[in-house]
Amino acid sequence: MSNDCHFFFAGNLCARFRGTVITIVSLTFAFNRQALPLQTDFYVAGAHCHLSTNSVDVLQSVWRWRGPNLVGSRSLEMEIIVDPRLDTAAKRPAYFRGSGHLVFGFLPPGSFVIYDLLRKYVRAVLSAEAARDDSFWKTLFIPITIGIVGTTVGVVPLHCACLERNGNGLLIAGDSGAGKSTLTAALTKRGLALISDDWTYFSKDQSTLVAHGLFSPIKLLPDAVQFFQELRELRPAISLNGEIAYEVDPARFVGSQVKNASRPSWIFFLERTSDPGCHFVCCPPASIRGFFEKNAERLPDELVDARAFRTTIIRTLSVLPSWILRTGESPQRTSEAIDHFILETKYATA
Amino acid sequence: MQPLEFSHYSDPLDLLRRFIQTPMKATYRLDGARVGVETNDCALLPELPVDADLTGPCALEWKLIRDADSPGFLEPPMFLTSATLTVVAMGTACLLGLDHETHKLFAFIGTDIDAPTFREYLVPFLCRLTKDALSGDPLGCFVSWSHNSAHV
Repeated sequence: MSNDCHFFFAGNLCARFRGTVITIVSLTFAFNRQALPLQTDFYVAGAHCHLSTNSVDVLQSVWRWRGPNLVGSRSLEMEIIVDPRLDTAAKRPAYFRGSGHLVFGFLPPGSFVIYDLLRKYVRAVLSAEAARDDSFWKTLFIPITIGIVGTTVGVVPLHCACLERNGNGLLIAGDSGAGKSTLTAALTKRGLALISDDWTYFSKDQSTLVAHGLFSPIKLLPDAVQFFQELRELRPAISLNGEIAYEVDPARFVGSQVKNASRPSWIFFLERTSDPGCHFVCCPPASIRGFFEKNAERLPDELVDARAFRTTIIRTLSVLPSWILRTGESPQRTSEAIDHFILETKYATA
Repeated sequence: MQPLEFSHYSDPLDLLRRFIQTPMKATYRLDGARVGVETNDCALLPELPVDADLTGPCALEWKLIRDADSPGFLEPPMFLTSATLTVVAMGTACLLGLDHETHKLFAFIGTDIDAPTFREYLVPFLCRLTKDALSGDPLGCFVSWSHNSAHV
């Protein structure tokens, strides 16, 4: 019987086949120090991860995030077993479920991850293919891990994009479908450095807010092709949330600078309107708090500290200069308006 | 009687489905230990000896969640264990986790898992996990699988 067979116990067949099938194809993984002799430390979005593994491929894959072992500062323990027996033939999409402080699920290709948010552990079994796949680490494993665990280890994921102009971080927020990603792509084409597109990860360095990105691709919906002719050469694909979209590497597509962190200075809430022009309206702190709280993932009672930390981050964000940007213009014209607006605002402030 | 709408759970801020309500509750006696079960589908209340004594804490609590968006049939189980957790994945049709310190077990069970499969396969499996956890031998279940299989 092959490893990827599906079995279904029904009626009398159940007792006859149960044991045999399971003996042949079940896998057991025990996480302990003996099984994971290789160790390293790395840093993602301000979180310090201590990694134990049995695979050199895993060590090489986290190389880009490597950092010194700062004793006592660890915020996350990560244990990863790589096993070539894990089946990569079955094209199972990413699938996660949780209860209380535990979250677990399947991650393609052929991998399974467990998150313990109270004990701040990540344990995973990866296929050999996943372990050495750069795209798996950059676009799936690390963003999902920080997205799920982040708030418990001092990194709050919030739904907004982040760019940087002359050392000042600029956040683009707004409801789904408002056009944040196309505007982000247009702003990077004007020379702003990209920190993040869909999700930005916030931590505190002393009392200063830091916005982190994870080098994730920019996700553009198919209609963005009317604004970016370059997309005609690419093919949209089904993204993690099931949407059909272009996922483009910003460095290649836009050719602009990509940075991993910035200090946010301004927030723009994007609203589409049918009226022509771009209009900037001051946004009060209460509205900013309301927006981010309303769009934040629900957290269970066990994670009361994480909830409190997220509230602190949102309150800190809410005192930044913020505007609602109502636009009926193309992403290019809107990005031009933002660029001029922040320039004028800086002069006015100065 | 109004059918339970476990098939319509949708909350964009709860993509992990941590907040699915499990209003149906029962308490059972399993090898002398009280085991509490809560679920969102009465078909997942197991046919086990009910505990008549309604006082006192449960030694272990099961939370069985019928998940309409977990398709497919049972696949060969994959066991992952550590000092604090045991997780068993049988494809997306059944994912279960047991926290040995909080004494809580939860399982997401897909709609394709019918009553005979639940009764004849999953309930014995959950009972075995529970007994091993309460006896302080969380790995016993794995040994049990090999042992049973060898004698089929």
